[in-house]
Amino acid sequence: MARDTPYATHARTVRHLLLTVLVLCLASLVLIWRIDNPRVERIRTAVIDRVVPGMEWAMAPVTGLARMADGFQSYARLYEQNQELRREVRQMRAWREAALQLEQENARLLDLNRVHLDPDLTFVTGMVLADSGSPFHRSVLLNVGARDGILDGWVTMDGLGVVGRISGVGGRTARVLLLTDSSSRVPVTIQPSGQRALLWGDNSITPVLKFIEYPEYINAGDRVVTSGNGSLFPAGLLVGHVVMTADGRMRTDLAADYARLYFLRVMRSHPGTMISDPGNLVGLPRPPLTRMGSSPEGSVPEGQAPEIEVLADP
Amino acid sequence: MIKPVTRHIWTYRAIYLLLGFFVMACKLLPLGLDGRGLPAPDILLAVTLAWLLRQPAVVPIGAIMIVFLLADFLFQRPPGLWTLLVLLASEILRRQPQVVAFPFLMECTAFAGAVFTLLILNHIALWLLMVERPSFGPVLVHGIVTVAIYPVVVAVSKFLFGLRKLGPINVEATQSL
Repeated sequence: MARDTPYATHARTVRHLLLTVLVLCLASLVLIWRIDNPRVERIRTAVIDRVVPGMEWAMAPVTGLARMADGFQSYARLYEQNQELRREVRQMRAWREAALQLEQENARLLDLNRVHLDPDLTFVTGMVLADSGSPFHRSVLLNVGARDGILDGWVTMDGLGVVGRISGVGGRTARVLLLTDSSSRVPVTIQPSGQRALLWGDNSITPVLKFIEYPEYINAGDRVVTSGNGSLFPAGLLVGHVVMTADGRMRTDLAADYARLYFLRVMRSHPGTMISDPGNLVGLPRPPLTRMGSSPEGSVPEGQAPEIEVLADP
Repeated sequence: MIKPVTRHIWTYRAIYLLLGFFVMACKLLPLGLDGRGLPAPDILLAVTLAWLLRQPAVVPIGAIMIVFLLADFLFQRPPGLWTLLVLLASEILRRQPQVVAFPFLMECTAFAGAVFTLLILNHIALWLLMVERPSFGPVLVHGIVTVAIYPVVVAVSKFLFGLRKLGPINVEATQSL
């Protein structure tokens, strides 16, 4: 810095100014995100929607290779696996017979009682494009989005158990907040005791079960299913099994295979909820508007109205 | 007439941007979803600060801004917060001309100091903004893993990309750019 020409001084001032402006812009972006979260999250979804499908095309060979390496490791114990699978298939055949008989019996009893059932849940299957990329957020990105009719809040499963819920829908992509994310809370029922609990994600592979009324009625290995409380998820979907940890807490061994999430089913469970205003966290609640006009937020529920009828119609 | 130094710097700026996008794409791959083992290191930060400590001119403010803001949006972080912190850290490190004359151990220490300061400031900012934040233990482990990866990043930069450390004389030459 011995040769400070006027040009260099000038450049340094401009640089300071630029830095200050950038810092102020970024700080205000963070504050706007905090204050008007839904809007900025929609911008985020739009950015991801634009960027990630393009990346996927470029990164497909890398994903393929990594998965092949994963598969290759399992070749090492091919023989044992084969034996294991044969044993399991024999057991499954027996269970299948039992299930078929029970299904027939159940159908006969339902017919006798004239029970009307809801139509089965229909689903859309999506492929996992990407994960959250951060060690402290557990979510994956699916390649189905608003153009496939996906709505916020729908439950997502792999073949066996619940994986998470849709949280953030873009045009071509949708984000699934996994049950293991530290902001995931799902009401569940523990069978066979029928106790209600809250499945509390804490960034580990086995979420905690909290708010159980009588923990002494619960044993390790009990089934954990969704309870349908708060109409968040449909009731009775398998989540996992109870495990007791050494420190006496109850956790859930999830039924879904979190190491291999390739294809996920998004269940069309309910007409969806939407956060359209920043909420009345600050200040007094506003009086209701007398004139409901043509605001863009107002038009969204109207657009969803036919969907509600379709879903409610048996 | 383009000077060879200028061309060299612009090549590395382009390489930095491409490398940043590549690292981001790799982090987004849906591998290791079961979350066992250590939290993954922040390679993006390691590359940025390593290149900044070795040749400050090849990572300009604009490039850091683009790469980290995109990363904030893609990685579900509060948009702008981590970018802001990294930007400030990079400017502070850039203002230390003696850093480039440091031996490697001092360089590592400077990097470790920057990483832990950033993580702690980020944690405090999240606390102030009342955002849900991870517990501090995994964050510390994440920092340690990031510091541990630094020599590898430096080796790759040196032998794969040929990014050598500037001597005090070269610093003055590139300062005017």
